[in-house]
Amino acid sequence: MSVTDVEHPASHIHPPPDTFIKKYVFSLDHKVIAVQYFLTGGLFFVLAGLLAELMRAQLMGPNNHVLSVATYNEAYSVHGSAMVWLVIIPVLTGGFGNLVMPLQIGARDVAFPWLNMISFWLFPPAGILLFASFLYGAPQAGWTEYPPFTLQMPFGTSMWCMAIFLIGVSATITGLNFLVTIVKMRAPGMTWTRTPLFVWATGVTAFLSMIATANLSAALAGLFIARTFGVPFYDVGKGGSPVLWQHVFWFYSHPAVYIMILPAFGIVSEVIPTFARRPIFGYKAIAYSSATIGLLSFMVWAHHMFTSGLQHWEQFAFMVLTMLIAVPTGIKIFSWVASLWGGKIRLDTPLLFVFGFLSTFTFGGITGILLASVPIDVHEHASYFIVAHLHYVLFGGSVFGIFAGIYYWWPKMTGRMLDERLGKWHFWLMFLSFNATFLPMHWIGLHGMPRRVATYDPMYTGTNEFVSVSAFVLGLSMLFFAYNALVSQRRGEVAGPNPWGGRTLEWMIPSPAPYYNFKDIPIVLSGPYDYGKPLPYANVSQDLATVPVH
Amino acid sequence: MKQDRSQPLLDGGFWRAVIVMAIISAVLMYVVVVFPIDRLFLPEASTVSVDIDNLFKFSMFFGVPILVYVNGFIIYFAIRYRLKPGEPIDAVGSSIHDHPTLEAVWTVIPGVLMVVLAVLSYFIIPMYYPTGQATASAVTMEAIGHKWYFEFRYPGLKDSVMNEMHLPVGVPVTLEITSSEATQDVATGAVLHSFWVPEFRLKQDMIPGMVVPIHFTPSEIGTFHIVCAEFCGLGHSHMWGSVVVQSKPDFDKWYADQQRAEAAEAEGVRPISLQGGDASAGQTLFNAKCVVCHNAAPFAQRKVGPGLADLFDDPDHPDLVTGKKASPNNVADILEHGAHGDIGVMPNMQANGITDKDIANLVAYLQTLHK
Repeated sequence: MSVTDVEHPASHIHPPPDTFIKKYVFSLDHKVIAVQYFLTGGLFFVLAGLLAELMRAQLMGPNNHVLSVATYNEAYSVHGSAMVWLVIIPVLTGGFGNLVMPLQIGARDVAFPWLNMISFWLFPPAGILLFASFLYGAPQAGWTEYPPFTLQMPFGTSMWCMAIFLIGVSATITGLNFLVTIVKMRAPGMTWTRTPLFVWATGVTAFLSMIATANLSAALAGLFIARTFGVPFYDVGKGGSPVLWQHVFWFYSHPAVYIMILPAFGIVSEVIPTFARRPIFGYKAIAYSSATIGLLSFMVWAHHMFTSGLQHWEQFAFMVLTMLIAVPTGIKIFSWVASLWGGKIRLDTPLLFVFGFLSTFTFGGITGILLASVPIDVHEHASYFIVAHLHYVLFGGSVFGIFAGIYYWWPKMTGRMLDERLGKWHFWLMFLSFNATFLPMHWIGLHGMPRRVATYDPMYTGTNEFVSVSAFVLGLSMLFFAYNALVSQRRGEVAGPNPWGGRTLEWMIPSPAPYYNFKDIPIVLSGPYDYGKPLPYANVSQDLATVPVH
Repeated sequence: MKQDRSQPLLDGGFWRAVIVMAIISAVLMYVVVVFPIDRLFLPEASTVSVDIDNLFKFSMFFGVPILVYVNGFIIYFAIRYRLKPGEPIDAVGSSIHDHPTLEAVWTVIPGVLMVVLAVLSYFIIPMYYPTGQATASAVTMEAIGHKWYFEFRYPGLKDSVMNEMHLPVGVPVTLEITSSEATQDVATGAVLHSFWVPEFRLKQDMIPGMVVPIHFTPSEIGTFHIVCAEFCGLGHSHMWGSVVVQSKPDFDKWYADQQRAEAAEAEGVRPISLQGGDASAGQTLFNAKCVVCHNAAPFAQRKVGPGLADLFDDPDHPDLVTGKKASPNNVADILEHGAHGDIGVMPNMQANGITDKDIANLVAYLQTLHK
């Protein structure tokens, strides 16, 4: 590529691709790649969700034989791995990052469209590898795969290493790509304090993906080498240690927790001002707390290991650093709630999902503080309390955030509206059955039921029956969304460029966005959330006004 | 576009909502304080469990109002400030986008609470986790995790005690916790386990090659579960033991019994009588315990150990894993003492928690499978 190719004049627009393959398969267009991520992630969401329903069927009673013990172990291991690496991370970064971020910064695409395409095409093979591991003895030790047990498992665990490694490479590349895009390609006039909060969140996530995921790759390579070539990384007798894996794994996987929640924070920060029709409260506090959380997330990994024989002073240091994260997280939650104060609130489906997010994520945050305290964690660690806590932050947080984003940006993605009535049914059924599924798990966990078991003491039977039935309802609630999505493609109301009356740049162009996004690159004159003031953009078509038409 | 500045934000409705939430918070905080965890939930059976529960209550005490106010304000704002029918579709809300005092309050208050929780936690850690200085304990003993049972070694007892740990009430104990397979190759044997007694509120992973001491004083007489809390393979779901906390005289009697049994065993091996084995009782026990590792199916349908359907009449496998002929007495010998197979280890009768009578029943049942 010569220098002259790089310096496109701003008015230069490429023609759209003309073949099916270039347009929909090996596409370079960030909006098409986003849809590819959504569809692939959606498929794995269904598969991993069905595994969860199988697990709940097994746990309907003690000594059930719906699944054999080994199959049950495989089911929860693949369920956890798939939900983390094939659903939440790709959908939030590859999906929403690609769909929204370039539009919000007024760019025509990401910085490296080719890398973007490669990132996506690493994702389906990874998913196929992970699910194909069932044919060769899938991993059984949960999504954390602690050795030495994992050294004794059949080939499926090596396939798990390879699958997650591919996803890791994909996430690293996407992180680099997005970081460059956000730093270098924001529209003229879009200073850091005029940048939409979803872009802030995506930027911090991209930084975490780029730095932390390399560490996951190292951990996986270590496990693979130890399994395949017998290098004794985890063998005490030969100078290794089983705890080594835990340190390296969590040094990635704690930042990964924020990779999985920060983009959802970004979605919440976009939805609230649009539907409350007022500026977001504490823009700078929300933006800077994202950055603070990102940095702190690298210093807390050993709080997953309080029962792994750490020194007293190590436990204390990690406890204090973990509790410190509660402060910027609290700032965000309080700012979002305050953003509703004195608004003109329209209770449409995206906002309902945000309310669900705020309610469940705050609950998960409080139990997270309990778990940060070493003595409390020593009782609750590895029990169903942890299972409940992590679903409150990853399902109640990330997945509710994902659905808020899907309902919010669906018109921009497809040009048509989703049905509000079905959306509200979906929300209420999902919100109630979510709490009915995971709230009782705190109870049985505190009561002494460990995680990762295919059977349990009969004293927990009643609660487990209730949880299983709720989990089936939770699964059924997703059908409302599936039906809604299918029907809206044919019969949905045509959305128009700006159905919600939003003020960020993605609403200043037609829906679905044209191939080149912006005919002229917009010029940004001030921050995006000043409802009641004139639009802060030059070079955009002012007749796409900010009046909600929906 | 019109901006609605007519309504003051701190009106009567706001303060009424704050007061309602304060009342709800106060009621819930009161419930947190007076809730008898010990009686209505899970017994507090070690001295440190009381302190850990108090820390839990402290966190919940301040967590509850945060939950009430976050959820309460969402509901209140959603109702109070919703776009009402008849209002213009392009109405916009308040333009306040910052309030430094309010933001300082919700930064400082959680910060202070975190500091207090950290300090309180700091003083509780040494109560169960001996640091630097040796902790004064009357008993120092070992707990060792196996696939899939717990082994306990008492000072003064030659043989280990399996799965059922006995402790005297009110006597400080230091338990040195590890995983049995420290010396085994990680590629075949060693796994992590975790020693958890929910009633003691204590948990420590059992890690190959690491010995981690924890320290506690049982404070209640009773029998409590020991649960394995770290995934360790097919038997993990069933890896349960128990800790029997007894009065000092009862404990001394149990301890003396153990010593007497050792002395008796040193004199001559005690043969197990297979007379009067009850096959149906054996079947019940088999389906409760043995099926974790064995199928009642032909040899080839193995789990951890072989299928046992044709145990006494399998021309391909005339000998047992011990090399002896498959006879009722030799099978009883394996049930009593355990055996090492090529995949896993068959624990002995103490680890499996079965009695002489159970062995007779199981052998009788296995003979009915013999066709």
